[in-house]
Amino acid sequence: MKPRERVVLALRHEEPDRIPIDLGSTGVSSIHAKAYYDLRKYLGLPEKLPRIADIGQQLADVDKDVLEFFHVDVIDINRITEPKTPYPRRYKFTGVDGSLKEVSEDEFWVWRAPYSIDVEMPKYVEVLEGEDGFIGYVEGRPFGKIPKTGYYFWGLGHALANAKTVDDIKKYNWDAGKVSDDVVEILKKKAEYLYKNTDYALVNSFMGSPIALGAFRGLHAGGQTLRGWDRWFGDLKFRKSLAEAILDHLFEVMFYNIKKLVDTIGEYIQVQVIGYDDMGMETGPQISVEVFREFYKDRYAEIIGYVKKYSKAFTFLHSDGSIFPLIKEFIDIGLDIINPVQISAKGMEPEKLKKTYGDQITFWGAAADNQHVLPFAKPDELREHVKELIRIFAPGGGYVFANIHNVQLGVPPENIVTMFKTAYEYGRYPIR
Amino acid sequence: MGGYVLNEIRDALANLDMDKVLELVRKAINQGFKPLDIINSMAEGMKVVGERFEGGEYFISDLIASAEIFKEAMNILEPLIMKEREAIKPIGKVVIGTVEGDIHDIGKNLVAMMLRINGFEVIDLGIDVSPQKFVEAVKQYNPDIIGMSALLTSTMINMRKVIEALEKEGLINKVKIIVGGAPITEEFAKKIGADAYGENAIIAVDICKKLIEELRSKR
Repeated sequence: MKPRERVVLALRHEEPDRIPIDLGSTGVSSIHAKAYYDLRKYLGLPEKLPRIADIGQQLADVDKDVLEFFHVDVIDINRITEPKTPYPRRYKFTGVDGSLKEVSEDEFWVWRAPYSIDVEMPKYVEVLEGEDGFIGYVEGRPFGKIPKTGYYFWGLGHALANAKTVDDIKKYNWDAGKVSDDVVEILKKKAEYLYKNTDYALVNSFMGSPIALGAFRGLHAGGQTLRGWDRWFGDLKFRKSLAEAILDHLFEVMFYNIKKLVDTIGEYIQVQVIGYDDMGMETGPQISVEVFREFYKDRYAEIIGYVKKYSKAFTFLHSDGSIFPLIKEFIDIGLDIINPVQISAKGMEPEKLKKTYGDQITFWGAAADNQHVLPFAKPDELREHVKELIRIFAPGGGYVFANIHNVQLGVPPENIVTMFKTAYEYGRYPIR
Repeated sequence: MGGYVLNEIRDALANLDMDKVLELVRKAINQGFKPLDIINSMAEGMKVVGERFEGGEYFISDLIASAEIFKEAMNILEPLIMKEREAIKPIGKVVIGTVEGDIHDIGKNLVAMMLRINGFEVIDLGIDVSPQKFVEAVKQYNPDIIGMSALLTSTMINMRKVIEALEKEGLINKVKIIVGGAPITEEFAKKIGADAYGENAIIAVDICKKLIEELRSKR
């Protein structure tokens, strides 16, 4: 069975020949550059510098040899390593030094990362050393800071933290979040090329907005990015007109982008990410179902509805944490895939999830408890743990095997290998 | 009749009604209640919020909303406290930070906020705090408690380094150590030699109060 068919069957809640496997198709199911470097070394694969696919999180673009070794079934159309397309995106911007720059996403420079390895950074990224860390710029815009011993870039401030009135909200440059027609054109070429020249299932992990503008990745996370994590909760409770104004703008941009993307690449991709929107904590959802309904549900219904009406692509939403009651709300509005299924969070017990929602939504993730087992367990214990999760999640399809979020550095390479090997060896249907 | 408005403040805060709390606080001031009594009734309201959060009725969004109400009310009360010289002595001093290599601060900020509301003096060292910075802060501020947070399994081990550094400097017996964060467990806390593990912000406050009692009884 071809990978694309395998993934589509699973997403249709049918049993393919085996459970589909993902490593690296999104910025929430991939691997940190350092962990990736160690993994390649452990596997005895040719030495090469990790190529950074996600700047903020410092994720590696997973190479062809590793995709094949782990029997990965699905890739992102925005890949920058093989298998990739001959249609690199071009970036034109004013660099930090004030000069005009024009680079291709195929061009890289070597950066000595704070986590002590060299990595290949795309040339549209510039990094300046500051007093207590490095400031990263994408297309000349500052987007984050990484501590001198850090592993990721951390967002810089909150653009609308000081907004007081709806007028202040209006003044923000919302249109900067909209995807440009040239970018969409290149994406179309990429998607079409990979559709015709590979057997992989294709994900578009890109929601359209420039990387430096992280707000447009989700309604809740967007509000928090623009206003500040806790201030946003106050907005939802005490300053509703302000919150509504922000959400109207966020939605307008997110819907504009999704529409553009689906209209051009919808026929080639199997999965479109519609949100990276963390709504859970370790102990429970951040917000009540009532708040979700009041502010987010109808807006997400329109976004998901558009994708489903105008393409065959399945819709993918990422939310960390404990979100059990919110999954039902997303099922109501047609969401196909929930990720990363953080089974160690309260109320996210695997049996309960599968029994309650298993026939209505696909669980993309849940490969192993990444907080307590994956980094610490002996390979034998890990194997049993992964087998048990496969036994729970796999029956009837609706399960794509992926790590819960990105594999972090410090996870023993042996455990990463054990996890994916177990998926391949024990993930054959019928599951025993 | 005497404390009626104070009960109303407690209930309005417990029900997260910002406008009502602020109105009642002004009313109580006009009726001649002391700022400290008003603050105490708000603290009672916060306790109810904490209970409702623990019971699953309230969400983290509600907990943060309650803190915002508290802060707004304090904006009214603080000038009066200064005027009346009703100095409130903090119940204890906490130095808090996210450990080296880690930049996640949501949980740490939440704990700092709840500690402050509950009468602790909190010195927040921020994110990516090295063992050396923790040591310096202990020397400079002489805190009762060190609070450490980590989200990542790859950084949680740095908590042990802080404890080792404090041991090396002979400071470990001067302070109590509490740790928290998503991957942290009671077992891990014990293993690295921490005094306590705070599963969430509400529990962390209760534990810090207990740790202070232990320290006071020892001194």
